[in-house]
Amino acid sequence: MYAVQGNNSIIRMFHVSKWYGKMVALSDVTLNVCQNEFIFVTGPSGAGKSTMIKLLYMGETVSSGSILVDGMNLARISKKQIPMLRRKFGVIFQDFKLIPTKTVFQNVSLVLEVAGFKPKEIYPLVMDVLERVGIEDRSEEFPPVLSGGEKQRVAIARAMVGTPKIVLADEPTGSLDPDSAAHIFQLLRSVHERGATVIIATHDQQMINNHHGRVVRLVKGRMA
Amino acid sequence: MLIFAARRALTDIVNNKFLHIVSIVTIALSVFIVSAFSLFFNNATDFLDAWRKGVRIIAYMSNNVAEPQRTELMETIRNSSGVAAIEFISKDDAYNDLKEKIGQQSSLLDGLDKNPLPDSLEITLADSCRKLEDIEELSQNIGGLPYVADVEYAQKWLHRFNGIYNLFKVTGLVLVSIFFIATLLIIANTIRLTMYSRREEIEIIRIIGADEEFIKYPLFFEAVAQGFLGGVAGILMLYLAFVLTVPNFAPETVFSFFEIRFISVKFSLAIVLCSMMIGWVGCFFSIRKFLKL
Ligand SMILES: Nc1ncnc2c1ncn2[C@@H]1O[C@H](COP(=O)(O)OP(=O)(O)O)[C@@H](O)[C@H]1O
Ligand SMILES: [Mg+2]
Repeated sequence: MYAVQGNNSIIRMFHVSKWYGKMVALSDVTLNVCQNEFIFVTGPSGAGKSTMIKLLYMGETVSSGSILVDGMNLARISKKQIPMLRRKFGVIFQDFKLIPTKTVFQNVSLVLEVAGFKPKEIYPLVMDVLERVGIEDRSEEFPPVLSGGEKQRVAIARAMVGTPKIVLADEPTGSLDPDSAAHIFQLLRSVHERGATVIIATHDQQMINNHHGRVVRLVKGRMA
Repeated sequence: MLIFAARRALTDIVNNKFLHIVSIVTIALSVFIVSAFSLFFNNATDFLDAWRKGVRIIAYMSNNVAEPQRTELMETIRNSSGVAAIEFISKDDAYNDLKEKIGQQSSLLDGLDKNPLPDSLEITLADSCRKLEDIEELSQNIGGLPYVADVEYAQKWLHRFNGIYNLFKVTGLVLVSIFFIATLLIIANTIRLTMYSRREEIEIIRIIGADEEFIKYPLFFEAVAQGFLGGVAGILMLYLAFVLTVPNFAPETVFSFFEIRFISVKFSLAIVLCSMMIGWVGCFFSIRKFLKL
């Protein structure tokens, strides 16, 4: 096979399918994502958007087909290499997934601790991203006292702090009011401007219409 | 690496104060109960043992045994196996002793025109001679010697006592074992619950790229620390209870031969060590079950 290798591609999905038991969540998806692309993955609820995101950071494994991320073949990597793969990503969820018993600062700094940064290096990096998302004055608070918009800003700070190559966002504005949603969207744009590849899964057609970016549409697990 | 893990564990303990306190208190209470039981049974067996050691054989002598024959008799008994010491108690000493013991009612004795008590020999038994059969045999031998009129050694009482003593030892061992096993399960389960309640947090840490060691080490550290703190707290609680209640019994005024002792330092250390080990084991299994590590 002499497939054209776009030398700036960062994610490649070849005929990827995913079943949960008999339930087909994703079916024969082939997709090439270039570095610093801004992509919307859209489609109705149940179309397979979340599944696609999970397959990328190996929250789930493919049933058939193969995925390459930044040169790593996900079918080939050992269990021990999964953490290295995940450090290439910053992931944002609709339900924020912050750790309620850790402060805002600790939630964000954990990413750097995991990657083996020294405590001295961690502090300035974390404060910098907290400032960028405008939440530095709440760094010692615990997530349960924050509003939804604030929580999602902490989640974005966490996704950016390790300057990952790829940022994945699964319905990042799904549970926010329009103003907060606009702010979050702006922040995702700025992450993109700093060089990250951004993939946003959303069923919010309005958001897609109002912003430019490549749109990948899924219907019942297939690309449409 | 280990230092970082320990530091993260400490932060975790601070962040999850409530969870850890509940878990430590649960462990402390279980340790308290199991060590209270062993404290009780240790002392009860010690007490019975001390009591048994107090058993003596009294040989009553015939009347008017001359000094040389008495010395010879005492020498014979002293050389028998199972005898630790022998003491001569003259009839006069015995009479005075009796008088003192009955105190105010000593006027009762005034009616007697002469001392009705015989001379006697008080025989203390060696540690090698504690079994009922040995005591019986020895007293029979002594009874057969010349100038010995009668032998007494609380026979009936000893028979019954022996039964009680053995029953007590077995019951104590069984109860302590049962409580010990219950404690093991409680501690392991407490640790399990701690882990279970944190599985979401651990899932998140995984998504942001933590490797297994990063997740595991602090959890082990925390579980072992919980075991340690719970164990120490349980024993301190028992000590406090001991210090506050035991002087009220003042047992030494009732039984001069016996003193209630706290569980030994060795035993306390063993309990704390056990508690830490259970923490480790509990962590090991819950990690496999809930975290699939
Ligand atoms: N863990 C799972 N077990 C079984 N079925 C699942 C699981 N996750 C998703 N599904 C199913 O797969 C399909 C795609 O789900 P999902 O990727 O979450 O869609 P979307 O995010 O587009 O709404 C749905 O029908 C859903 O019910
Ligand atoms: Mg979804």
